[in-house]
Amino acid sequence: MSDRPTPSPDAMIVLDGVSKRYPGQDKAVVSDLSMEIRRGEFVVLVGPSGCGKTTTLRMINRLVEPTAGRILIDGRDVTHVDGDELRRGIGYVIQQIGLLPHLTIADNIALVPKMLGVAKSERRARALELLELVGLDPALHADRHPRQLSGGQQQRVGVARALASDPPVMLMDEPFGAVDPIAREKLQTEFLRLQERIRKTIVMVTHDMDEALRLGDRIAIFDSGSRLAQFDTPLEILSNPADDFVRDFVGSGAPVRRLSLLTVADVLGTAPSTAAGAGRAIEVDPGDSVHTALEQVLAAGAEGIEVAVPEEGSRFLDLGTLLTAASQPAKVLT
Amino acid sequence: MNLLSYMSENAAYLWFLTRQHIELVLLSVLIASVVGVGLAVLTQTLPGLRRALLSVTGSLLTIPSFALFALAIPVMGLGVAPTIAALTVYGIFPILRNAVTGIEEVDPAAVEAARGLGMSSGRRLRTVILPLAWPVILNGIRTATIMLVATAAIGAVVRGPGLGQLIFQGLDRLGGANALEEALSGVIGVVCVALVLDLLFIAVAKITALRGWNV
Amino acid sequence: MSTAAMTETSRSAAGTERKSRTWVLPSVVLALLGTLWLYVGSLDLDSVEARSLAGDVVLGALWQHIQLVVVSTVLTVAVGVPLGVALTRPGIRRAGAIVLAAANASQAVPSIGVLVLLAMIFGVGFWMAVVALVLYALLPVLRNTMVGIRQVDPALIDAGRGMGMSTREVLLTIELPLAVPVMLAGIRVALILNVGVATLAAFTNAGGLGSVISSGIALDRMPVLIVGSALTMALALTVDWLAGLAERALRPRGI
Repeated sequence: MSDRPTPSPDAMIVLDGVSKRYPGQDKAVVSDLSMEIRRGEFVVLVGPSGCGKTTTLRMINRLVEPTAGRILIDGRDVTHVDGDELRRGIGYVIQQIGLLPHLTIADNIALVPKMLGVAKSERRARALELLELVGLDPALHADRHPRQLSGGQQQRVGVARALASDPPVMLMDEPFGAVDPIAREKLQTEFLRLQERIRKTIVMVTHDMDEALRLGDRIAIFDSGSRLAQFDTPLEILSNPADDFVRDFVGSGAPVRRLSLLTVADVLGTAPSTAAGAGRAIEVDPGDSVHTALEQVLAAGAEGIEVAVPEEGSRFLDLGTLLTAASQPAKVLT
Repeated sequence: MNLLSYMSENAAYLWFLTRQHIELVLLSVLIASVVGVGLAVLTQTLPGLRRALLSVTGSLLTIPSFALFALAIPVMGLGVAPTIAALTVYGIFPILRNAVTGIEEVDPAAVEAARGLGMSSGRRLRTVILPLAWPVILNGIRTATIMLVATAAIGAVVRGPGLGQLIFQGLDRLGGANALEEALSGVIGVVCVALVLDLLFIAVAKITALRGWNV
Repeated sequence: MSTAAMTETSRSAAGTERKSRTWVLPSVVLALLGTLWLYVGSLDLDSVEARSLAGDVVLGALWQHIQLVVVSTVLTVAVGVPLGVALTRPGIRRAGAIVLAAANASQAVPSIGVLVLLAMIFGVGFWMAVVALVLYALLPVLRNTMVGIRQVDPALIDAGRGMGMSTREVLLTIELPLAVPVMLAGIRVALILNVGVATLAAFTNAGGLGSVISSGIALDRMPVLIVGSALTMALALTVDWLAGLAERALRPRGI
């Protein structure tokens, strides 16, 4: 394995030729997988069921022991360190949430700090602080039991529990899969906002491509043969799917989905200039998504957008130009 | 080896006691079933009374059998009658409980459909509710039967019939010739009766399930 | 009495039990004892009855009975719980299934049979009776411990393992606390079985209230029989009531 390239310094999690094969099964669940996940990155593993995405996730904290290969976390080879100790330093959130029904919310959150020997008053303070962080009123919820909370609230507690010892890495296995669609979207948005503040390195498993596109900085798509089909940014996956499997998995509507990922600034470079002031325009921000810009134009019945560009002053794009630019498959990445 | 020779020498007697034991248990189970299922049906619209009956019969089950057998003596004397009375008392709870559960678990839509067809309440009970609740009720009767087979062995202290006599006779002659063989064959007999009856119930459950238990 | 029926009894009792039963039972017991008192007081006892019903004889039998029940229940729990836990550990789960099947089949053995056969083979007396009681009451404790641990949601164990608990910590903080209600139900059944089987211990010279009943039968003295039986009933109901209270008090909150 020494012939493999050394991981880049900002790699937080490195899977190096990792395989998992269960005795008695001739096909490996995961075979010779190599991935590098950067510090502070939100990576989503996605694929059809049985593609090995959950096994991959569970190998990172060694709930599943790899049969071959190495796993490095923050530069340290953790393939053979004590598993329990390793897991105490990694946040873990699962679909079933798994709050202990006989403990209060605060005690649930404080489980890992307790195992790490943090003093009682300090644990409690930490639990309250985390409840606040995930948007639950500590005064109202800390001393309740999990049964008294809704599914969405329980999953917030699940996230708080995973953050309790401030681990640099969080693993999430379909964390929003069990909550109803409306609560799910709210949780996803809130979680993104939370991630902006805490900047953890997150690996999440889902089977929902929309969720992957919404949340991931990068998405790893596994095909049904447990092969890593593509590992790239959402925009790149939508724009340049690596193969037919990825194209099929992303499904129809990829061009439209791209619109929410592309910013106006992205398309400015490829779009030809149009004379400003030619028609009624809606003023937008370069950072807005093309989707938002289009929405505003259509809602107002305008003919195009007007964007403030730092050096050139203001640019006008009519609707047609905007759409043509946005549908370019090979777009220039920022 | 002694045991086998004891058993073969006394085969006729053992068989007689075994039959007695089975008859005793089945008779008690029959009475308990009529009472248990009857109470469950009669209290269909009286959930409060139903709960009370369940908790009373449940408490009766905690009373040691020796005490219950003995208490029947002043009223009924020694012999078969107090044994059957006490066994019946024990048998009611599991049967009542399962009948209640079985009836409560019947799909309300099926009952509603029967009402829509214009069935009277008695007919609904016979053609819809009881057949659908039957597997659960049968299981209650089975539990009661297996329990009573073992409990009936204690009936011998009030001169009740059955295999328990062998156990107590062996105990009376503690240390005497064949005392152990006698008690042991009593215990083995009880276990065999329980297993045979259990198999019988499994067979009945299978057969009635296959035929859909139509009335 | 079959442990299967008893186990289910206590389970359904836990569900249907209302607060009202907490005072109904003790008042029934008190009424029973009051009636017994009045009944015995109204009798003109002959010398045999007077001797059999002397305060120290009856109370002595009651005390012996309680000792039998307490000692055998403590031992049953001390053996059954660790054994049940051990049989759910990975590696010997298969053995657990076999033990459970064997234990279930052994339910067909009558309690009096266990007691008498042990007495014949190993002798009579208090401790032999305790051995028989423990053997007979072991099944519900063993089975409920195993069932209680096995029914714990695997997701909770996954969550525990995922946050870095060792298997020991998972057992102590997740599996055992969550198994407590089922285990308590099993212990309650064992307790009730022990009260019942201990009455039969009189036949193997271990004393207890059964000896009052059996001397009533042997001497053909109904008052003696009635006192013995009624006290046994009162004891059984009281123990069940106390066990119910303990069950409710010891159940972890939030479950």
